[in-house]
Amino acid sequence: MFKKALRTLAVTGTAALIMGAQAPEDILDALARKTNNAPYLVQSPQNRMMMPDNPAYDLVEDGERLFKTPRGPKNASLEKCDFGKGPGVLEGAYVELPRYFADAGKVMDLDARLAYCMKTLQGFTDADPAVARKHGSGSDVMKLQTYIAVKSSGMPWNPPLNHPLEKAMRDAGEVMFYRRSGIMDFGCVTCHTKEGARIRASVLPNIHKPDEWTKAISWPAYRISQENVRSSQHRLIECLWQMRYPNMKNGSDASIALLSFWTDAARGAPAILPDLKR
Amino acid sequence: MLKKTSIAAALATATAVLLVAGGCATPDTGKTEAAKPAQDASAAKPAQDTPKPKAVDYTAMTPAALAEYLIFESGSYELDQPTQEGTNGRARLVQDEIQKICSLKKGEELSDEARAKVMALAAASIKYPEGGIKLGDWKKGRELAWSGFGYRTAHNPDKHAGREAGGNCYNCHELATDRTGGTIGLTLTGFGKIRGSGPDMLKYAYDMIYNANTYFPCTSMPRMGANGVLNQQQITDIMAYLFDPASPVNK
Repeated sequence: MFKKALRTLAVTGTAALIMGAQAPEDILDALARKTNNAPYLVQSPQNRMMMPDNPAYDLVEDGERLFKTPRGPKNASLEKCDFGKGPGVLEGAYVELPRYFADAGKVMDLDARLAYCMKTLQGFTDADPAVARKHGSGSDVMKLQTYIAVKSSGMPWNPPLNHPLEKAMRDAGEVMFYRRSGIMDFGCVTCHTKEGARIRASVLPNIHKPDEWTKAISWPAYRISQENVRSSQHRLIECLWQMRYPNMKNGSDASIALLSFWTDAARGAPAILPDLKR
Repeated sequence: MLKKTSIAAALATATAVLLVAGGCATPDTGKTEAAKPAQDASAAKPAQDTPKPKAVDYTAMTPAALAEYLIFESGSYELDQPTQEGTNGRARLVQDEIQKICSLKKGEELSDEARAKVMALAAASIKYPEGGIKLGDWKKGRELAWSGFGYRTAHNPDKHAGREAGGNCYNCHELATDRTGGTIGLTLTGFGKIRGSGPDMLKYAYDMIYNANTYFPCTSMPRMGANGVLNQQQITDIMAYLFDPASPVNK
């Protein structure tokens, strides 16, 4: 009952204003129809059924409060943070990340931009738990990311490539996607270029199909197997772990290059936020 | 309103300068020298007096050069992270010749020359057991085939002490029908029953596990023997799981 109420709140508070109240499960259903039931999209009817009660909605609520509350040594809220569409503008900001930020002089994803604002506007440092704790439903970072990301639900991925650095990062990310190395000869390409292929029982998303790839990159998502809401950065390290690669640092340029390429690959397809995955 | 915004912007810019400087000074392997030319990179090209500091302007690099820079020079990976085989993270990211040739982008095709080269390199990498290929223990092979444990590092390194690394076969192949295997590779269900277990077939299976590039250049199949993931005994145990008439694969 409580969760239902939250969900209604989240939907009316975000997508409803812009997109006519299209719930994430409805976005997914529409994509499934459009792709004639792409196996990746329809592999788990159970997960689909749970989407209206997605535990990620709890984080949306907490994230909004964190966003609007003055915090940190500078006692400031995040309402002046510019995620690319102007200070405080969250609607549609996430689907246009990563992007180049002139103030920082670099291409940033949601995670990096959020950390940047928490440090510059609120005065936190990298060592503060508010910034340093990147993972888990209980972390400020995941609550804030979920709140911000949900305000782009249903909107088409549209990361800008006008700035030379945006283009450079996207293109380097493409090279890294196809680059094979390590004791198992793996690259991202090994698992994500075949339609309907499975690792064990799990159907893998194909990067060449934007209408299924959008679900793959729709993070934050609640992961049932981990009982936590997870981010794009978390997905990345889990892939690298399976690929037998060394650890990648959160917010590193290599991670942002990969995210630039993978977001570009979903261009035009609607974001499903928050998503719920195995 | 306007004032506030410009103050905030000025503040942000000031902090950004600090951040950029700080960000460049911290990468893990002696890149502090390379960071210095970064600050005037926008004004003038840094002098090329040393071979090292060329990589600070991302937009001046080819995508391939930038990818290499991001992987090895930007501090993105924990390159010093120890691996189970006694090397480090950097070694896991450095490509050998086959990996370089086989990193084909969408639409790129292997040239005939490259194909021949990969096949020759692969064939030369294979070492056979003394006394020939003999099937091992299918029960041991079953365990190895269904184990995805081993050699993972990143945020949660596998500890090989106390647990043997597996072959990961089930991730990509359907094996026996008692468990669900993947479909990235071809199905191996009924392998020995369908193909028989003559010497040529045994050699073929051994080669495929050891280094499948011998027959399928740039296959997705990891070079289990050549890369040292599985030893000869483990390979013949897995082969027994595939060939033995008593194995569930052939039931």
